[in-house]
Order: sequence, then C-alpha cells, then structure tokens
Amino acid sequence: MKIEQYKLLEKSLLKDFINSLIPIANVYAPVSKGFNNYVFQNIKSADEVSIKYIPTIIPPKKFFLPKKENILQFFIEDELKVEPVTEYENLIIFGVHTCDIAGIKCLNMVLSDKPKDTAYLIRKKHVTIIGIECNDYCDEYASCSFVGAHMPTTGYDLMFTELSEYFIVHIHSSKGMDIIEKTDIFKDASIAQLEELKILRNNKMKIFNNEIPTERRYLPDLFDRSFNANVWKELEQKCLSCGNCTAVCPTCYCFDIKEEVDLTLKAGERYRVWFSCQLDPFAKVAGGHDFRKERSARQRHRFYRKFRYHIDRYGMVFCTGCGRCSRTCMAKINLKEVLTSLIRESEAKIWRKWL
Amino acid sequence: MSKPKVAFFDFACCEGCQLQVANIGEPLIDLLDIVQVVEFREVMSEKWDGEFDVSFIEGSITDEHAVERIKKIRERSKILVALGSCATIGGVNGMKNSFPLEEVGKYVYGESYKFFPTLQTKAVHQVVPVDYFINGCPIYQPEFITVLKCILQGIPYYVPEYPVCVECKLNENVCMYDRGLTCMGPVTKAGCNSWCINNGNICYGCRGLTINPNTEGFKEVLKKYNIPEDFLIKKIEMYNKCKELD
Repeated sequence: MKIEQYKLLEKSLLKDFINSLIPIANVYAPVSKGFNNYVFQNIKSADEVSIKYIPTIIPPKKFFLPKKENILQFFIEDELKVEPVTEYENLIIFGVHTCDIAGIKCLNMVLSDKPKDTAYLIRKKHVTIIGIECNDYCDEYASCSFVGAHMPTTGYDLMFTELSEYFIVHIHSSKGMDIIEKTDIFKDASIAQLEELKILRNNKMKIFNNEIPTERRYLPDLFDRSFNANVWKELEQKCLSCGNCTAVCPTCYCFDIKEEVDLTLKAGERYRVWFSCQLDPFAKVAGGHDFRKERSARQRHRFYRKFRYHIDRYGMVFCTGCGRCSRTCMAKINLKEVLTSLIRESEAKIWRKWL
Repeated sequence: MSKPKVAFFDFACCEGCQLQVANIGEPLIDLLDIVQVVEFREVMSEKWDGEFDVSFIEGSITDEHAVERIKKIRERSKILVALGSCATIGGVNGMKNSFPLEEVGKYVYGESYKFFPTLQTKAVHQVVPVDYFINGCPIYQPEFITVLKCILQGIPYYVPEYPVCVECKLNENVCMYDRGLTCMGPVTKAGCNSWCINNGNICYGCRGLTINPNTEGFKEVLKKYNIPEDFLIKKIEMYNKCKELD
C-alpha cells in the first residue's frame, strides 16, 4: 500500500463527487427499480444513485458488449459497399462491485484472445470504472469469496471503500488520477486511514467465508468426475430454458449475428445480439440436428463453461460469485446448491470405490 | 419494376392487427414507397380482382364460408401471411373449441342457431398453406416491418424459438413474479421485445407457446408462488386451444 495512491473523501461529499463526473462523460450508476432490483443507468444527478445495492439485473458487461451492436453497414446500390462499424462512447461507470470487475476481467481475457475483438478493445479504452467495495455480503446468493472476487485487486480506475468517517479511494490508473485532480474535494490519506483499511480487510476475511464446501483448486477434478452426474438430470425437470441465467451472467459473451435492411431495401446493417446456450436454437445446425437438445445438457454446459473449460484455456474460473443466475432463476436453480450437490454426489462415488 | 401488390383480408377477428398496420406512423410513408396496397377494407374502398403478390390474413377460420374464401385468396396470392394471433394460432377464438359446437351455437344465436352453421376454430395454416407468420394480439409493429422486409427480399423470417423472458431480461424489467404477479413470459414465444412488460403489464401469452416449453417445470414454479395449476391451463388455453388441431 503506497500512501500516495490513496485519497480521502468526506462521506457527505460523495454526491458532490458523483455530480462532478457528470460534465466529464456519460455517467452510469446503479439506480433502484423497486422490488430490490437495480439497473446501471445513465444518471443526470447523484440523487438517482443507490450507493448500497445488490447486483444489478444486467451486469456492466452491457457497456463492453452491447446487447445489440452494429458491426457492419452495407449499401447495395449498383455495387455492394461494405463498411465496418465500431460504436463507442466515453463513459464512466460508478459504483461497480468487485464481482462485476472480476467479470470484466474475464471478458478482457477472452476478447483479447485471438481472434481479437477489436470493437470490444476500442470500447474498453473509453470506459472508466469506479468501484465501490462491499464490506459485507449483498445477500445469501453471493459466492464471491469462493471465487476470490470479494476483495479489490485490479481492473478498476478508482476504488471507493467506506471507512468509519471517510471513503478511502484507491487510485489505480492515470485515468483515475485525472478524475481525482479535476476536483479539490479529496484530501490526502494518512497512515491512520491506511491502518483502518487494513483492519477492515482483515475483518472481511471473517465475514466472507467460502460459500461452497470445496476449494477452487479442486474444481477441475470435481468436474472431470461429474459429466454424467445425476445433478444434471434433476435440472432437466426444473429448467425452463428462459436464458435468464446467461443473460445476467457477467462472463457470458455468446452472441448471434443478424442482418437487417432499411425500408429502401438498398442499405442495411449487420449486428450482433446476445445469445444463450440455454435456448433451443443455440446448438441447432443445418438439417435440424441439435447438439444439446436436453435442458440438462444445456445447464451442464453452462456450469462447465464457468468452472471447467476456461480453467484449461485461461487458468481462470469464469464465475464471479455475483449470484445473479440464482437470484433471477424462476425455477430456483441455485448455483451454490448445484455445486454442493455435485460435491456430495462425487464424494459418495469416491467412497463407494474405496469400500 | 412495378411495386408488389399487397392486400389485407379479415376473417374472425377484431381487426385490431390491421389497425396496428394503419397506425404504424411515420414508417408508413416509406412502406408505401416499396409496396402498392390494392385492397385493405379497413382503410380504403378500392378492390382488386387480379393476383396479389402478398396477402395478409387477419383472423381465424370458423365456418364453411371462410374456408371457401380463404382458399380462393390463397389461389390468387403468391405469398400468404398470417397476421396476428387469430390467424397464426387461432387466438382467443380457439376457446370455442372447448365446447360442443351445438352448445356454442345456441349460446350465441338461441334456437335459430341452425341457420348459422359453424366449424371448430382453425388457424389459417390449418386450412391453407401459410408462408409467413406474424404473431401477437395485436401484432408488434416493428416485427410487421421486419417480416415485410423479409418477404420483399425473398428470405424467410424465423419467429424466435425462445421465450419472452429472453427479451424481457435484456430490457432490464423487474420480473413480474418479483412484483407478485403471474406472467406468461417464461413459456411464450418471443419476438415482441417484451412489449407488454416494458409498459408495466404482464405477458398474456398472446404469441402462443414457445417451441418445446417446459410446462411441467413451469407448474412447479407456479406451485412455489402458490398459483393453482388450472390457472396456468386456462391461461394457456386462452390463446393456444387450436394447437390441438395441428
């Protein structure tokens, strides 16, 4: 902890700080929609913002991978003209939790892998991320400690942590520094506040306990043993294939490509839209063959995409523990419970072998 | 090249879907640049006695006269489009099929029901071949335009094979079940961009059941919310009764 990387903000000045961002760029922050639902929304005043919130309906991935994104314009007058399109805006996302920052890090990993997603990488450069640290669990669905996303590490420009009297702000990039320097409401941090921050983080270790009865490093083994587990068969009955779990997942990035012409029928655009492995047409190919016809196979695929395949390819777990999939599931398919059942079933199998 | 000749016809329906077309607003000007409307009883008095390039059919087929008439329109049309729930899936008219025809006739016409012979309600494709389907009660205007563009390009239009929840979640609506309401979104065909829910209403399931719906799983979900099972059956039958005749 280098003291010059930290600044202090009086708690009463937080709204002033948010308001100071609004002239700089489009500011998006968590806004309450009622019924304990929140959305990252464009704000015009700090009064709209919910500082304390549970994860939003859709994570901030929507700013990096828009739900609908034009990628090509074409004109079919005498000859075909095609132009690639990259859409981006300068924006600041305020109030991002560490789980969602972990999600963006996962997306960065995949989309900067070959073939690089240029539009994504351009857009990313124009986004400033201001985080807010969670000092306690948002609710019972979170499993951020299991995946190690409950502590701020990297992936943000500024990180706000609430101490007893101040917000302590970690400056993690020059973009973050520029924002701090635009106002004069920040004070220098002193050793005392850094100490308080250390104590707070130590305390968090007690509050945030591993939510799953195993450790991350055992995941590959667990999943290698579980491809034919009964747990998946039970999901066949439950899952409605509504695709909510993947839509709200910070690390799901699958998309479909479509085209639409305008009413002249002579010009149009090619765009991509979010798509989901949970939906019927996803794995359907020519001739009507479907690689994952059963809902159980689709759910299994989702879990392997979070906890197995990406460990091999990127050395990362692709779950951020945000709990959105469980919170949103109509059929109450709960990620923590599914993992726990998998562990139980796998343990029972191992014991049977021994006895 | 002359503009494709387009016509609109209505059968058993409320004509609300045609009203949606007439009420489409600004895009109508551009639409009329690329098609020629030759017959559309709701908005014009002219008739056409030649061939139609595209015929839009609103309404379901409920008696012998309608059967004869739709067959003739089919013969005169290069492309036939089912417009709205009544035409695509039978719609609310399908509820008639839950009762004996005699009982239905007597309920409406009393003892003179014999002068008004009637048939079980059918969706248009259950009588003549249909080339394009535009679901909804009423239709969703942007989807109408999309389908029309597909027709004019000579390419198929695929109705999304997933439930309304997919579009609703992307629109970041608060789930109706979180509000304590029962919504048909989880088992209803998408394509409407969750129009009703965006405007604070529940989904009535007007576009019909999605392909391969997990109705058993949905019953379990309803149990968790203490919603009786026959409530779901009634909700499904409101729009999907004609499916039995497929």
